[in-house]
Formats: sequence, C-alpha cells, structure tokens
Amino acid sequence: MTEVFWFSEQPYGHVTEDDIEGYESGRMHFPNTMFDPIKAHELYSNYHDQYALADQVGFDGIMSNEHHSSYWCMKPSVNIDAACIAKVTKNVKIAMLGNVIAVQDPVKMAEEIAMLDCISGGRIISGFVRGTAVETLHAGISPTENRARFEEAHDLIVKCWTTPGPFRWEGRYWPHRMVNPWVVPIQRDPHPQVWFPGTGSPESVIWAAERQYPYMNLGSLLDLTKQLKDIYFETANKVGYTPGPEHFGYLMKVFVADTEEKAQEVGRKYLWTEAHRNRGPAEFNDPPGYQSREALKIKMSRPVIGTGTMGKRMSYEELQDAYNIVVGTPETVIEKLRHIKKELDPGYILIYGNEGDMAHNDVMRSIELIGEKVIPAVKNF
Amino acid sequence: MVSSTASRKEITVLGTTVEYFVGGTGDTSLLFLHGAGGNSGWQKYHEELSKRYTVYVPSQAGFNGTERPDWVYTITDMAHFNLQLVNALGLSNYILMGSSMGGWISSEMASMDDSNIQSLILIDAAGIKPEKGEIAEIFMCSAQTRLKQRFYDPSQVENYEAYTRELTPDEVFTEHSNREMASRLCWRPYLHNWSLPFYLKKITTPTLIVWGENDAIIPVECGSLFQANITNSTLKVIANCGHSPAIEKPNEFMETVNKFLSN
Repeated sequence: MTEVFWFSEQPYGHVTEDDIEGYESGRMHFPNTMFDPIKAHELYSNYHDQYALADQVGFDGIMSNEHHSSYWCMKPSVNIDAACIAKVTKNVKIAMLGNVIAVQDPVKMAEEIAMLDCISGGRIISGFVRGTAVETLHAGISPTENRARFEEAHDLIVKCWTTPGPFRWEGRYWPHRMVNPWVVPIQRDPHPQVWFPGTGSPESVIWAAERQYPYMNLGSLLDLTKQLKDIYFETANKVGYTPGPEHFGYLMKVFVADTEEKAQEVGRKYLWTEAHRNRGPAEFNDPPGYQSREALKIKMSRPVIGTGTMGKRMSYEELQDAYNIVVGTPETVIEKLRHIKKELDPGYILIYGNEGDMAHNDVMRSIELIGEKVIPAVKNF
Repeated sequence: MVSSTASRKEITVLGTTVEYFVGGTGDTSLLFLHGAGGNSGWQKYHEELSKRYTVYVPSQAGFNGTERPDWVYTITDMAHFNLQLVNALGLSNYILMGSSMGGWISSEMASMDDSNIQSLILIDAAGIKPEKGEIAEIFMCSAQTRLKQRFYDPSQVENYEAYTRELTPDEVFTEHSNREMASRLCWRPYLHNWSLPFYLKKITTPTLIVWGENDAIIPVECGSLFQANITNSTLKVIANCGHSPAIEKPNEFMETVNKFLSN
C-alpha cells in the first residue's frame, strides 16, 4: 500500500527575487546578512506545528533533509530536525533524506541516528546523500573526495550499527583504532532502513539498486523518473532480486485547498525564486572531480536523459502538466495522484507541501485536506 | 602544441605511463614542471630554452596524457613520483624549473634531494601561505574569472585569443580532468603546505625565484617568503606582469633566466 510522507524544505520565505538578483549565485554568494534569526524563530515554530498536524491527520511519515548556504532550506542539520519531529509527533515514520555523510564524522552520525531511533521509538528511516556539490564546497572538502568519502562513511556507519564494539576501522578518511558507540538503534533487523535519493543521475540509482535501498526520486519530471525507475529495476534484476513499489518513491509539490481557484493561486508560490536557488558558476554545482572521470565520459557521450525538458525553464502550467506540481481541490488532486500511481507505481508519495512565503494557515488547511480526503483515497488506489 | 624541434614521447614510471615533450640537444638537461592548469605543450619559452639545454616538459601524474596513479593525493606524493621520473629519464646534474603548482612541486623535490639539481628556478610558485594577502580562489570560480586573474594586461599576451576560444569536446574533457587532479592535490590546505618553509631550509642549490609583481593569484610576498627560506636564492620581480611571466613578459623572463644560468 502506498505510504504518504510530508516534506518541507523549511524555506526562509522572506527572501524576494529582488534580494537575490544582483548576486552571482543564489547560494555561496548570497550573504547571510539577509537572515533575521527572530523571523526564523517564528518560521521554525510554524514548520513544527505543520509536522504535528501531519502526524495527527494520518500521514504515514515525515521526510526531512539538509542543505547548507541555502536560503530556501533553513536546515543545516537533518538530525536536529528529526529530533524535533520525534518530539512533536507520535506515530509518523521519520525519513531523513538525508545526512550528508561525506562531509560528516561517520561515527558521530551512527551515534546520532541511533539516538534518534531510540528517542522516536524505532521510527527512523536513515537516508544517506552525497549532497549537492555546494554541501561539499561549504564544508571545505575537495569535491574529488566526495564519492570515496560517501562510500567509506556509509560502510562505517552500517558497521557501527551491526558489529559489536569495540572494533578497528582503518579507513582512508576516518581511521579509528577504537570504535565503540554506546548508543545503538532500536531497529536491528539488521539496522534502520536506508533510503537513497537522486534527481537525475543514473549512477545514484544503480548504487541504491545494488544495495536494495529504496530510491527516492526528488522532484524530477514524470518521464525522466520513469527512465530512472527502469534503470533501478534493470539493476535489481542483475543483482538478483525482484523490486516492487517498496523500492521506489516520488517527491512532488502538492498543495490542496477548498477551491480550485485558491489552490491555483497559492500553488503558484512553488515558483518562488526558482530561477535563483541553484544559480551560479558550474564550478559550484558540478565542480571538476565531483563526478568521476568515467561518469563524465559517459555523460559527454550520451544524450542527456529527459532531453527536451531538463534545464529549460518551465511555466507553472507546464510543471503541472508534467506532474511536478500538483495543486487543486482534494478531488482534482486525487485524480492526478491516481495517474502518477498508475504511471510510476511508487510505494512512497513524498509531498513537498509548502514553499516560499505560503501563509501558515493555508499550509495547515492543505495538510488537513490531504489527511482527511486525499490519503484515504490514495490508500484505495 | 609541438614544434618541429620537439617530440612527444612516453616513459613508464612506477607502472604509470607518462607523456612528455622533449626538445634541444644541449649537454645540460632542464626539466620544466607545469602548473595546476595542466600541460600546455611545447611553448615559445621552451623553444628558447632548448637552444641551450635539452628541455623535458612532462605532463605530470594525472594531467593531460599521463595516467592518474591511485596513490598520488598530495604535492609531496607528486614530488616523490617526479624524483622517480628524473631517474627514469636518466637526468643528471639538471636544471629544475617549475611554474605555479609546478614550482611548489619543484621546491618539494629539491627539499627531498637536491644533490642532482644544478639550479632551481621557481616561477610564481604556490606552496607557501602568504602572511598578509591571500591566494586567490581558482577552483570555485568561472573560467572567465580565472583568466582575468592570470594576466595583468592581456594586450601583453601574444595570441591572447587562444585563451578565450571555445574548446573542443576532447579539450573540455582534458581541462576538466586537469582541474580535477589539481583539486585533488591542492584543495586543503589550499595551494600550500604548512611545513614547506621548514623543508626549504635544506636546499643549498643556487635558486632563482621569478615573480610577476602584479600576480593576482599568488601574491608577490610569497616570492619573498621563498627567498627568505632558501639559503642560496635570488628573487627577481618583474614589473607590470601577472602570474605567468614566461608568457606575459617573455623577453624579460628569458633575460633573467639566462643571466642566472650563465652564472
């Protein structure tokens, strides 16, 4: 049965197009003097109220994430956000998608995630991400090390959860002669589920499929997502297992209101500063070495997946046609989700439920309507 | 670019195939080490030098046509690799010249063992953290910014258009790979080695340090720091010149080098 998750980037919605316009990039160059901590305090409170309501109205889970140097995501630590979710909710799964383990201390990550699993009573899904390149640059780490660090960190975290301590770990990046984390996860079969996200890179899909980790596609267009899902399934078959909906999730922007007119009006805020958020020199988003030379060769030799849609600015209407943005009354949204279920058959529908300066009350109403009407319908698809 | 007087060759070092250009027939060998941008091939100043020396211009490990050995992660690794390259090429009592990152590598090689090095020439070398200024950002910025930083006055650069033309797909791949290798070697600490000033104390080889006065990438104060730490060294600062004196002020550069080597 399809599970429905709530997700918010927790944007600092006070930023306007005019604020960003003059800077070379929307991330590394956009100065934090534009950030007002008092306003952020109010926003965090709203976002936590939204979490609590999502739990009450029947969402299966809440997903969270982490970004750095980003006005559109005020979460530099997914673990801190997961701790908040654990305390303001009672039932939802908490999917962290995820920790940027290439730039963190993996032993501390293993401890913190285990602690969260204990605090939440075993509700943690532990996603691991390479992060956008900016996460690595912001951490002062060479992009050439990201993948190797990611893989070593992943292996060390899993070992912390599955091997009794103390043990020795003589890795290249995190050599430890004594590892013995006191706190271990509640979920021990064999450890909290690991999810892996992606937006368009086939290499990421293959990495997840090889390990039977559910792959969460973060907001790609429907056609591209179908191609990536096929790659997952092909890899799974090579590895020797039959994947199902439980291996695949799809994130989309969903806003529901009592009237179509209201939904269309508020939903337009999904385009908030869209052109600026990842703007900047290619050296920020895809610096040399962030991809392997092999991956670069493949990328240069084949047509880009989803040619014709990627990299092109799309209108609000086009994004709705592509099922990237789904807005409407409960009835119209249910029909659109039914189409996505039929086309993609995701085991997890991840609802990116607010953006920019959407009014808190509008978002709360959207959560209520999704919980009362949309989720029960999705369960019967 | 390879002129009729130079040829491209290959040699195996520690299992890695190294490409290099060689030209000239002088009794004394000169080994030139390129900077973080990679090997631009046989340049005019190589041609000039090859009138007196046998000049070797290798693509260093991981750059251009030379494979990337798995174990080379630091400039110190690179220096060890290059000392083995020197042995493989059979260079004896040779002149070692390096530009920018290549200057850093050269200085680490000489610190390890300068008994076989007749003269050392460092050109706007990376490797020492400036005390007053900063080394400019060369990775997290666009190609246009990097080009702007490199030259003080583009009108002094012969065939400047070559630096701004659109690259072929093969050239894009090579440039990307070169920048990837430079990132691997130089990211952190950024374009310097905290210990280098102490390593340098061991060098006794006569050393020439050449610097563009207006170097916008590695400030000229780094030239003074190299000079202060290498016993037998001279600093020559070239006025109205950026990070690449051999290209931006070729005549003054060659005069400086020839004068030093004649002594």
